[in-house]
Amino acid sequence: MWLLFLFVLPFYVIVCVALGTVDPIFGSAQPQWDPLRWDSTAMRYVLNQTFLRGGIYQPAFIRTLVYVGSALAMCLLIGYPVAYFITRHGGRWKTWLLLGLIAPFWVSYLMRMLAWVNLLQDDGLVNTALLRLHVIGAPVHWLEGQSITVILGLVYGYIPYMILPLYGFLDRIDPSLLEAARDLGASPTRTFLQVTLPLSKQAILAGSVIVTLPMFGDYYTADLLSSSPRTTMTGNLVDHAINSPFVTRAAGLVLVMMIGLLIPMLYYLYATARATREAAG
Amino acid sequence: MAHPRERGSFRRQLSRRDFLRQSAGAAVAFSSAGAFLAACGHASNPNPGGGGGGPSASASLPFPLARQNNPVKWPIYDDNPPIASNLQPEKNAILKIYNWEDYLWPKVMKDFGKKYDCKVQLSTFGGVDEALSKIRTGQLDFDVYFPDPSLIGKLIAAKLIQPLNLDYIPNLTNVWPNLQDPFYDKGSQYTVPYVIYTTGIMWRTDHVKDDIPAMSNPYEIFWDSKYKGKIHIFDDYRESIGMGLLKNGITDLNTEDTAKINLSKDDLMKTIDEVHVTLDITDWTDLPEGRSWIHQAWSGDVVSAQYYMPKGVSASILRYWYPPQGGGAIGSDNIAILKGGKNPVLAHLFLNYLLDSKVAFNNFYNLTGYQPPMNDIDTHRLVSEGVIPKNLESTVVHPEDFDKALAQRLPRVRGGCLSG
Repeated sequence: MWLLFLFVLPFYVIVCVALGTVDPIFGSAQPQWDPLRWDSTAMRYVLNQTFLRGGIYQPAFIRTLVYVGSALAMCLLIGYPVAYFITRHGGRWKTWLLLGLIAPFWVSYLMRMLAWVNLLQDDGLVNTALLRLHVIGAPVHWLEGQSITVILGLVYGYIPYMILPLYGFLDRIDPSLLEAARDLGASPTRTFLQVTLPLSKQAILAGSVIVTLPMFGDYYTADLLSSSPRTTMTGNLVDHAINSPFVTRAAGLVLVMMIGLLIPMLYYLYATARATREAAG
Repeated sequence: MAHPRERGSFRRQLSRRDFLRQSAGAAVAFSSAGAFLAACGHASNPNPGGGGGGPSASASLPFPLARQNNPVKWPIYDDNPPIASNLQPEKNAILKIYNWEDYLWPKVMKDFGKKYDCKVQLSTFGGVDEALSKIRTGQLDFDVYFPDPSLIGKLIAAKLIQPLNLDYIPNLTNVWPNLQDPFYDKGSQYTVPYVIYTTGIMWRTDHVKDDIPAMSNPYEIFWDSKYKGKIHIFDDYRESIGMGLLKNGITDLNTEDTAKINLSKDDLMKTIDEVHVTLDITDWTDLPEGRSWIHQAWSGDVVSAQYYMPKGVSASILRYWYPPQGGGAIGSDNIAILKGGKNPVLAHLFLNYLLDSKVAFNNFYNLTGYQPPMNDIDTHRLVSEGVIPKNLESTVVHPEDFDKALAQRLPRVRGGCLSG
């Protein structure tokens, strides 16, 4: 039932919008509920522009993959050590450290991004600090359509969702397992590589899924930190299409993205199921 | 004394941004897929009321597209008549206004309430789509709404606004004569004008040394790689494509000629790599904050920009260019009465009140920055009387600008047309 209401039904609505028509006066979507009367014009357009050579949606799709991939890698590279540190060395400060991690997220995402817009301006604090430290010779134009700014924005925005599941898993690893490894002569590095890391594989997968899914739909990060056509992501494509008479194309784009994301999702479910089976067996 | 805008009226960046971007979306809706720019009833488009020659997008619309040379007198439907004359205003009423945020000075509403012994309640929307979808539900009984000309045909066709009884609106005569009987609503049957503005170029003289007005083609400044990263163009397909057309000397901004539109498109695409263009509509904060040095701009936003300068930066560095001889994009917003409202008489009186010269001026001066087209506001004295600073003189819209610029004005979101 839960799945029906929260997934199947919305999915069907999107399909009906994608294959429906638009209101002749207001240009709003008119979903076509009857599958026999579906009109595939918009869907074909989306597919052609996404998959055929030179399609206008292609650059944005490739860019999104690169951005999300890079942001995910950075989330892992930063998030894992942080989670590891809190679990192993947090001691009585654990709660405070976690609280410190979560505290900025009491402020809404948009407010935080707007704050970054201020910090990253040509004469903003970031440039001033970097200039003082002689890291850079001239102000960096962060907000002028730089890919790196958008990627860092994504990392900043979503990294807690990586750290928290990692922390949850790492915290549950029985310390006696690590002690056993050390007792058996494994070096700290080897203990980490052969015990901790394999045990946290599930957490890495879970964290990755949690951070990448919203990143794929994200458009406001690119909007606020760049608003340049050079950093258009798939989320922006949908956003643009929604605010045009081509609402049906927006739904089509959503479908393409959903199906694209279904593959890693299925792998995640498969991996989780296998891990549960292994744990049970 | 501080300007009121400095104290209270902070236009929120996002809502404002959404407002214009979404209104752009609504404009796309005006023509159907394929043709971005609707017909303008120009010499090449001989069909009155029906758009261009050939398989025109506009031909499939359920209502005509008004043009300067194809003015439209909208039908009055039997099931949507105007109210009778000489009715008394509703008693114990709450007049409900539906408007953009920060687009109406609160004191205007308060004073009206006092004068007519009613309450005035303002609700705001973030974008045309949001506003229309709420109005279309029929669940909300807003009385007064502020549509731009591109929406008028839709609202009439869908019978969402009611015809006006001009007996209640004698102040319409305060409006410039050319806007008392505009081509997009002949006889002001459904709407009265609210504000007018032009689209041009805003820049800061501390960073931009070029004398833009002296350039043979000022629009070329948007392609000047000297200012890479500091050039912003409107995130509005009509304004951006229109600017590309103007740059190429094409003055018919309503052209359906694919070759011309592509010419503009190709030029606009060049700005992505050559000058790292940014697309947004926050002209009135971008320039003061230094995010942009050159911005495609609306005249009303330029007036607002001077109140957003950071400490230590004088507003005297701001400049605005609009073709002095006319022939740039120009636009307007209007006021209409919604059919679903409960207080049509008060609503008529409110329209009349907003067209009072003094009220209109105060609303412009104290809050919106967007100029009302009133006869009593001597546009040639706005600068000498200190309403508009000398360096922003070009933001003033004169009645004659409208005649020049409106030669082929298309009813659409952000105006846009040229003499020619």
